[in-house]
Amino acid sequence: MTSVSTHNLTFTRTHTATYLTDLILGTISNTLAHLGIAASRFGRDWDMNEAAINAWIAEGFLAQVVLECHRPSGVVAPVIEFPVSYTTAGAADAEFTASRARLARFLAKLDQVPAGTTYRLFCTFTGPHTPQPGWGPATRASTGGLRSTTFGTLGRAPDGSAGMRYLYR
Amino acid sequence: MLRYRTIAAAPVRSASATWQVITGLVTDTIATAAALSRSEAEQAMSVAAPAGRMLVAGGHLDRHPLTLIAGQVHCEITTTSGTAALTAEENLNPVPGVASAETFTIYLPSPDPLGAVVSAAVAGHARLSGATPPAEPQATASSAPLIDLAALRKEVTGR
Repeated sequence: MTSVSTHNLTFTRTHTATYLTDLILGTISNTLAHLGIAASRFGRDWDMNEAAINAWIAEGFLAQVVLECHRPSGVVAPVIEFPVSYTTAGAADAEFTASRARLARFLAKLDQVPAGTTYRLFCTFTGPHTPQPGWGPATRASTGGLRSTTFGTLGRAPDGSAGMRYLYR
Repeated sequence: MLRYRTIAAAPVRSASATWQVITGLVTDTIATAAALSRSEAEQAMSVAAPAGRMLVAGGHLDRHPLTLIAGQVHCEITTTSGTAALTAEENLNPVPGVASAETFTIYLPSPDPLGAVVSAAVAGHARLSGATPPAEPQATASSAPLIDLAALRKEVTGR
């Protein structure tokens, strides 16, 4: 009985990490496209980012993924945060759901950013995490003065969920 | 011949792993055609990968198929994500009917908002297209009899 429970825990945590990673990276892809930010580097770095975020969610200490948009003027806006929360194994339904239609409506309302705007990705943590290739210590831009809109839950999986918060000028 | 394939994406596979499976399906299929090159298909799918992974992760391929057209075969490849992916039945065998094909094109869908991303990707290889796939040539493919009745009659009756 114990071995069965252990197997299920491993199964769902791995699948939760895969699912939430795809959900977050897919949403970032769509967001960059809506904002009019060139996504070629994001596409090239996909495997590296996917492996890192997947590993950190599986470890259970990834707090959030953050997308910062750096305008040519030096202003950093918008900033999109993707908080990840973890649920106790067995406490949630064994379902994988996403709010894709609601997300599409939300993104369709976003204003484009000026040409030449670039992006940076950050991850924040609540505990120890393994080093991942291509990722290192960095400092986030201040979000002071930005207004925020909470999208709510992007998607759910048996062992966790991901949300989205949009900070703008 | 219109064919369909459905590939299990997240949570069964990551977007990159899902794209690898789709690439394998396309290249294995092209490799069955004597006149076509597997490596050319691999190159095309590699060029398309940055856009392809975004199409997978964004859930776009769940609704908008990638279409492989090789000779008379039109194969629509979609993904399934979420809970349904856990029980999806896959057929990863090469798509039949391509053996005599002399050319092929991989049509990527261009759903909003990834149109520019797809356009940039398809510009990188001649075998890729972001256009709407041409309609399946049903008339020639389905109206021709599968059995040559005259030849069969002659074989059986000697007349």
